[in-house]
Amino acid sequence: MRIDTLRIRLNSIFKKSLAVLSFVLAPMMLLAADVIEPPKEFSIANFDWITILSVLLALLIILVIARAFDIGALTEKITGKTVVSWNNINAWVAIIFLVAGLFGVWYELKVHGPLLMLGNSASLHGDTYDSMFYWTFGFTFFVFVVTEVLLFYFMFRYRYNENRKALYYFHNNKLEIIWTIVPSIVLTFLVLRGFTTWSKITTEIPKESQEIEVFAYQFGWKARYAGEDGSLGNQNFNFISGSNPLGVAEAGQVDELVKELEGEISKLEAFKASADDSILAWKGRYDRFVATGLSRTYPEDFKTLKTKFNDGVSGAYVRTLEKDIKRKRTALNRIAEYKKDDGFFDGTANDDRVTTEIVLVKNKPYIFKFRARDVIHSAYMPDFRVQMNCVPGMPTQFAFTPTMTTTEARSIKNKPEYDYYLFCNKICGAAHYNMKIKVTVVENEAEYNTWLASQAPLVAPKVAEQTPAAETEGIETEATDNTVAMN
Amino acid sequence: MSTAALHADSHHDHHEHKESFISKYVFSMDHKMISKQFLITGIVMGIIGMTMSLIFRLQLAWPDEQFGFMETLLGKWAVDGKLDPNFYMGLVTIHGTIMVFYVLTAGLSGTFSNLLIPLQVGARDMASPFMNMLSYWFFLASSITLLSSVFIETGPASGGWTVYPPLSALEKAMPGSGLGMTLWLSAIALFIISSLLGGINYISTVLNMRTKGMSMNRMPLTIWAFFFTAILGLLSFPVLLGAALFLIFDRSFGTSFYLSDIYLEGVGALENIGGSPVLYQHLFWFLGHPEVYIILMPALGITSEVISTNARKPIFGYTAMVISLMGISFLSFIVWGHHMFITGMNPFLGSVFMILTLIIAVPSAVKAFNYLTTLWKGNLRFTPAMLFSIGLVSFFISGGLTGIYLGNAALDIQLHDSYFVVAHFHLVMGSAAIFGMLAGIYHWFPKMYGRMMNNTLGYFHFWITFITAYLVFFPMHFMGLAGVPRRYYQFTLLEDFNVWMDVNKLITVSAIVGGAAQLLFIYNFFYSIFKGKKATANPWQANSLEWSTPVERIHGNWPGEIPTVYRGPYEYSRPDREEDFFPQYVPDDSAPEVLHTEEHQVAPEEKSPEEVESSVFFAAIKRVFGLS
Ligand code: HEM
Ligand SMILES: [Cu+2]
Ligand SMILES: [Cu+2]
Repeated sequence: MRIDTLRIRLNSIFKKSLAVLSFVLAPMMLLAADVIEPPKEFSIANFDWITILSVLLALLIILVIARAFDIGALTEKITGKTVVSWNNINAWVAIIFLVAGLFGVWYELKVHGPLLMLGNSASLHGDTYDSMFYWTFGFTFFVFVVTEVLLFYFMFRYRYNENRKALYYFHNNKLEIIWTIVPSIVLTFLVLRGFTTWSKITTEIPKESQEIEVFAYQFGWKARYAGEDGSLGNQNFNFISGSNPLGVAEAGQVDELVKELEGEISKLEAFKASADDSILAWKGRYDRFVATGLSRTYPEDFKTLKTKFNDGVSGAYVRTLEKDIKRKRTALNRIAEYKKDDGFFDGTANDDRVTTEIVLVKNKPYIFKFRARDVIHSAYMPDFRVQMNCVPGMPTQFAFTPTMTTTEARSIKNKPEYDYYLFCNKICGAAHYNMKIKVTVVENEAEYNTWLASQAPLVAPKVAEQTPAAETEGIETEATDNTVAMN
Repeated sequence: MSTAALHADSHHDHHEHKESFISKYVFSMDHKMISKQFLITGIVMGIIGMTMSLIFRLQLAWPDEQFGFMETLLGKWAVDGKLDPNFYMGLVTIHGTIMVFYVLTAGLSGTFSNLLIPLQVGARDMASPFMNMLSYWFFLASSITLLSSVFIETGPASGGWTVYPPLSALEKAMPGSGLGMTLWLSAIALFIISSLLGGINYISTVLNMRTKGMSMNRMPLTIWAFFFTAILGLLSFPVLLGAALFLIFDRSFGTSFYLSDIYLEGVGALENIGGSPVLYQHLFWFLGHPEVYIILMPALGITSEVISTNARKPIFGYTAMVISLMGISFLSFIVWGHHMFITGMNPFLGSVFMILTLIIAVPSAVKAFNYLTTLWKGNLRFTPAMLFSIGLVSFFISGGLTGIYLGNAALDIQLHDSYFVVAHFHLVMGSAAIFGMLAGIYHWFPKMYGRMMNNTLGYFHFWITFITAYLVFFPMHFMGLAGVPRRYYQFTLLEDFNVWMDVNKLITVSAIVGGAAQLLFIYNFFYSIFKGKKATANPWQANSLEWSTPVERIHGNWPGEIPTVYRGPYEYSRPDREEDFFPQYVPDDSAPEVLHTEEHQVAPEEKSPEEVESSVFFAAIKRVFGLS
């Protein structure tokens, strides 16, 4: 019996040490402190072994404590006295969790809430968006708090008591109908609002919206502005080449591409014609490598040679060549089809500007036309509440009106360096995380025109070639003409 | 019923033979052993998936740090201890795939459908034990195929677990789209076969092999959940198989189902053009959305059972629970477009999908309210299983509510593919389903291994996991709302992302602590298999049929006849009974016999009009299904 009393005492010590158990939380608290205070550099030196060891140590301690409680349970059985009531402990922890959790939610809202820039969107539809957000937030946050509070409160309030019996309660149709109907009504409201917001954003496009093509590729963005003629020229992916990354229908570039392709084809044809000789030559080298023992001195070279030789013998070499030729022929044929259509190369593309920055004018409606040439990308501009996927082979669009200039955004955010960006938001490869284009919103048309004039058109205007000095002048007048025409 | 009984009896005889090690533990056809095989494989896959997430979380929190151990572990994928961007993507992809398919579909549904369907409906085994065995072996083959892809030269599939083409179709688009992607597709094809073999079995067992008295409306909610889950899987997985097949064709045979207008690395001409990348997304999400309910519903079923048992209280609104499961199952097939609002599909179509999606919130809300009411005025015993179930309810609420944002096409413009989505699905699908699975393991461990798991360790496991899960996923909402995209290797793109550096560290450290807490579970689990306290036949004083089987877990489940079922599974705390539970298989010796002709009839004086109504309703459901 004396041993039992000792055990009981031991256990009560353990019970008290439960308070100390917050050591599990300690690392997290430390970290929380790190978050609240301006971050100190979190050095890996502290992290590596010490953290791992202390986590292991913590686990070990938990194991020991668990064992101790088991012994406690045994003594309980023997002595018939309750030493530790886990049921009560869990109920209390639930309450502590609830309070701490609500505090955490409040903290997040307070600290990170303002970063969402709600109510400060930079586009016209952004305000509608934000108000939709507020409504949804209002309802869901209310439900969140009420239900979570009830959940943990019930945990505490109805924890096990030997002397009580649970309520034998199967269902209550009235109650169930109420809580089916009420969410239905709320959701109907949200759906209707969502529907109008969504329709407004996606379908109400002002006629005078200026078109800008936004083009995505692995891994970057380009924009294309109409030149003086005010319209974007045609494009097709078959025209894409190193010097024409967007595949714009500009006759000169396309002719060059055709020439290039024809050259490559004849080169490949030549390779194919002399395939037998090449294979023989490789065989010769291969045999020499083996005979002289070079194969052991230069194993890497030998391996490459062997693959080449094997490919040649198995016919894979010729097949690859043929495939390449066929592909290039296909490209040529497709280009030829477009060439037949006179309207396609109508010259509207010649004055288009392909730019590496997007410049917009405040309060002017735009419609972005998105294209991609390799994989799906997504054009994401959170400041403007804009996002649209760029799908190869399926042009998409998004219309919006910027309402806040870059300068204004800088002063509101109190960040003199701040810039808007359009960045990629659909996984598209290794550098997906590194794919952006700057978006600048300027105050007025004049600033925009100056910028556009500084961008080179696809085909330099004829006048420019004679007198370089006249170049800028000529474009500037044309640009102003263009504005007049558009307004 | 008679054929089933016959079959079951012959099965029973067969268990008298001495079984060899191989037929007992390896090529076992006993549903209990198969369930354990699923469970252990699922746990192993879970550990792997979790470790992967910790590795890429380290990258996100300390992008400039060099982790020596990473180079040791990953070699060329982490030169100088810095994770390679391609491999980062690979890890994210395989993490997602493992968690969604291998842990929470096969590991959860495979384990508990196999274990509980025969035990809870009163059958000696599954309808086809052989198919059941095949199901596991296809699953294992699939797991190995997937894992092997991590070790190949070009790395595993790395286009995200959704593997959208053209990224996944073009070998030149990224290294992971080569052999790694081929292995991914093979693994998924094997997985689908496994899942179909299992699903057919579950459905036929539930429909045909219930014991005497086990009408559909006396089935525990677990069974209803597994039943609907299997139906969802059966209808949606073949579509994924089709989608995968088209992708295989595009990759290897020059077709262009999903490809058009592509120029990559100086190569402009595909042999054929005119396909649509968006077609793949439609096909994928036709499975993908039901898939999240395939993951979640078994967890909800387990929770219903565990909460009712440990609250010592009937589950509130059994009928409503079944109807909402049914409603969710049906609706889940017509909402897939909410993953595609901003793919450029017709805005009107977006509106339709938005409306349908928000409707699904209603049955979900009903479920949450019913759980709360079940707890209300209960007498709660906090076993670890109970805690995990309550944790599930908490996650289900927090994560479900953010679904109302994402289902709203207008709000999705900003939120799509942001960290908000990551927060949402990790709470409602990831954490909730994992908690359901853990609850199931703690609760039915005695039925699997005849021993008890250690409760105290379970409590620590629960609280640490619960707290860290919230710490990991809650702050992500704010990152997403502020426009931080997911699937980013590091947040160096914009100056503004720097604000989140501390949050990223908090998340990673919490994830590590949470991950470490799983060691407690692993230890507890494996230790208890061999050294745990011996269990009694019905340690939780529960009502359902599985607790009438002997502790020894014999082939054929019951030594004698299969017990008859006399009432529903949730008769807890009946006022007219001394004990606070009343098992389904115990004949009533006190009350007049007439009472048992109707379901859910209980304390003699207390036959409320509602109860009559409910039995009428059940009769209606029965007629709809053409069952009895
Ligand atoms: C150890 C706990 C976990 C942590 C720390 C964690 C963390 C993460 C992170 C940081 C991402 C990358 C997000 C992105 O960049 O897009 C991710 C992706 C994902 N996780 Fe988890 N996760 C955990 C558990 C789970 C669980 C239990 C599931 C089960 C559903 C899950 C399913 C997914 C999925 C489907 C993805 C998306 C993969 C993709 O983008 O293709 N995760 N996880
Ligand atoms: Cu991209
Ligand atoms: Cu969905």
